[in-house]
Parts: sequence; structure tokens; C-alpha cells
Amino acid sequence: MACNRTRTIPAMLADGALRQPRRFLAERHVGGCPDCAAALEALQAARTMLRTKLPFHRAPPNLASRIGAALPREAPPVPLRRWFPTQALGGGLVGALAGIALTFVVLHAPSRTDPVVQDVIDSHVRSLLAEHLMDVPTSDQHTVKPWLSARLDVSPPVRDLAELGFPLLGGRLDYVDGHKSAAVVYRHAKHIINLFAWAATGAAAGADTGFSETAHQGFNVVTWRRDGIAYHAVSDLEADQLAAFARLVSGGN
Amino acid sequence: MPQDDRKRRFELLALPHLDAAYNLARWLAGNPADAEDIVQDAYLRAYRYLDSFNGGEFRVWLLSIVRNSFLDWVRENRSARLLFQAEPPAETDETLWGHPPRDPEAMLLDSIDSQTLERLMLRLPLEYREVLLLREVEDLSYKEIAAITATPTGTVMSRLSRARLALRKSWLDTHKMEVPHGL
Repeated sequence: MACNRTRTIPAMLADGALRQPRRFLAERHVGGCPDCAAALEALQAARTMLRTKLPFHRAPPNLASRIGAALPREAPPVPLRRWFPTQALGGGLVGALAGIALTFVVLHAPSRTDPVVQDVIDSHVRSLLAEHLMDVPTSDQHTVKPWLSARLDVSPPVRDLAELGFPLLGGRLDYVDGHKSAAVVYRHAKHIINLFAWAATGAAAGADTGFSETAHQGFNVVTWRRDGIAYHAVSDLEADQLAAFARLVSGGN
Repeated sequence: MPQDDRKRRFELLALPHLDAAYNLARWLAGNPADAEDIVQDAYLRAYRYLDSFNGGEFRVWLLSIVRNSFLDWVRENRSARLLFQAEPPAETDETLWGHPPRDPEAMLLDSIDSQTLERLMLRLPLEYREVLLLREVEDLSYKEIAAITATPTGTVMSRLSRARLALRKSWLDTHKMEVPHGL
């Protein structure tokens, strides 16, 4: 890998912008190029300086309540203007769909979200906010699985999918929709995935189902049932990636 | 009540990022009172358009709205010229990165105090300040910064590179001016 005068290699290394194998090649280059090594060191020193010395302005204590007080007076949503580049579809179509979806929401309020989906999203958000993400914080599947099995009436499969981009972070006990539930925690890039698993109940409890995808309030949820266990995967990860995760973790293809 | 439910969900999603939103607004606007107004406006907008949030990182979506609120605030309150300063010509001076006096530089970085650094940051063009904050303080990726600033990723990279050079140059200049008094 050749360097140039603008020193993009150290910058991309410092910014974590390279994936393997390019990162390896870049690191090898910097290891043998004093100029790039010096540039990388300078970038890291500057970052440390900004993080430690630049004043971070925390929101004044009354701002949250000021915003909270202003919220209920706001009219219900009318998203005619796009605030963010939509990823998958053309803007016009999205706008049209959003309009239809909104009409639906307005006509059919309260929304028809499955209460179980609502509950797993709540648990997911709570786990992130309360910083109680894991009871057993380990990437060792042979530790997480017996820990969960000892405390639950089901033994959900626990797989470390690090090589596939979904490292296992750990597990915890949760309580969802009136069930004791296993919550197995995975990560993909910066996104946390909570995989909830509990013993399926009801007439069709023993029947396997396919993967069903729902999006609600900015979270994606994939639901399926296999071998008598009900699974809910929740994350702010993009829908197709979460669907891929669900297929990987359930052992299917 | 669906409206209460919606509000609670919004608060769960958005309030954890209040400090990040305020810090960005504070650095862009330069003073606390305007930063508060900008953040409040951004949160009300985010609440109104919550249904158009299509997954991904909520902080990124929220910061893009904070930025929009800031731009509107500028349009309403100030001359637009202030905002769209031409970017200074690219510094391609090899000596800025290539052959630094390494030990003195580390000492120099250590010797910079918060006040000086704040002053240097506030003197940078707005685009530079913004990209440095989003990258170095908020730890966002090129792609996320591109989404927030509505700028192509390549432009984010070159702007970041120029911003770093500009900041470095300004503290080297500060140092040159201060050293004679210190010795």
C-alpha cells in the first residue's frame, strides 16, 4: 500500500474507516513508514486533546423538563417534509407511503402494535438505558447457555456469531409479557441486539413458524418460533440485517 | 392514551441524547441561550416527525435535526453570509504532518489549556468546527457525518482533513507566540 502526501492512510486508520483486509495492509504500511506513523500519532494525540480538554457542554438541568412541557401541545405528526435522507426508496414514494401510513394511524388510533412487540421493545430500550444489559457479560457461549438454562424452563441456543459480524456480548434474565425470558445480547457494529427467548405457550406452541418482521417506533423486531421456543430479536439495526441475524442465530439459512 | 404512549417512547429514545444535542448546538451557535432554543426546536421537530425515523442510529437522526434547526435559526437571526464562509484553500504543506518535532509536540498538546483550545475552536470556520465535533467528540463515522451534514462522504473526509490541519496550525501559531514569554 503506497502512501501519499495528504496522508489519507493514517487518517482512515485513526477514524476506523478501514475494514479487513485493508486495515491490515494499512497497519503494515504505517509500521514501516515513519512519516505515516508520526501522522497517526499526531492524529491520536489531537483526538485525546479534544476529548479531554475541549469543554463538553452538558444540557442545563431544566432543558429536559422544558422540552417535556412543550411536547403535549404539539399537534399529532404530519410528516410531509423529509428531514433525513431515506435509504431504500425514492423520496416521492416514501412521502406517499408515509401519507397513507399516517392516514391509517390517524383513522385507527390507537395503533395496532402487537402488545408483545411493544413489550420486547420496552425491554430492549430499558436494557440500554438502565445499563443493565447483561447479567453474564461474556462472549463465551459455553458460559452464557448454562447460566440461562439454570434459571429458565427453556434452553435457548446461544451462538457466538463474531465471525459473521454479530459478536456475542452476554446474557441476562428479563421479564417480558408475563414470561421469564432469556435475553441474549449481540452486537453488530454499534448496534445492540437483544434476542428474547421464552417457552412458547398456547395451542400452536409446538409448531415452528417462519420469520415475521415488524418495525415500530424506530426499532425493528423479528419474531419466530422454533422447537417450542418463542423468539423476538429487537434492535435499531436495519431490517434486512436484523432478518439476516435472525436466520443465522436460529441456525437456518 | 396513544399520545401519552408516543410521548413516553419519544422521551426514551431522545432524552439520552440531550447532552449530545445541546453540545452540538452550543458549539454551533456559540452561546447557551440560543443553544437551548435550538435544541428545544429540534426536539419538537423530532417529536413531530418521529414516524419518519426509519431505523438506524437515533442520535444521528436527531443530530441532523439539531443541525437543521440551527440553520433555520441562523437564517432567521443572522446574515446567511456568516454561515457559508468559503472554505480556506486546502493545505497540502507536507511539513505540517510529515516531519513534526515529535517530543515537543506532545508537550505542546499537554500544555494547551481548555480555554485556549475553546478559543481556537471557535475561531475555525463553522464547517470545520462541526466536522471535528462530530468525528472526534461524538465518534461518528464518515458515513454518519455525511448523513448529518447532507454532504458526500468524500467531502466529509477532505473537510475533516483540512479541519485537523487548520486546528493544528492554529495551535502551533499560538505556541510560537507564547513561547518567547515563557522562556
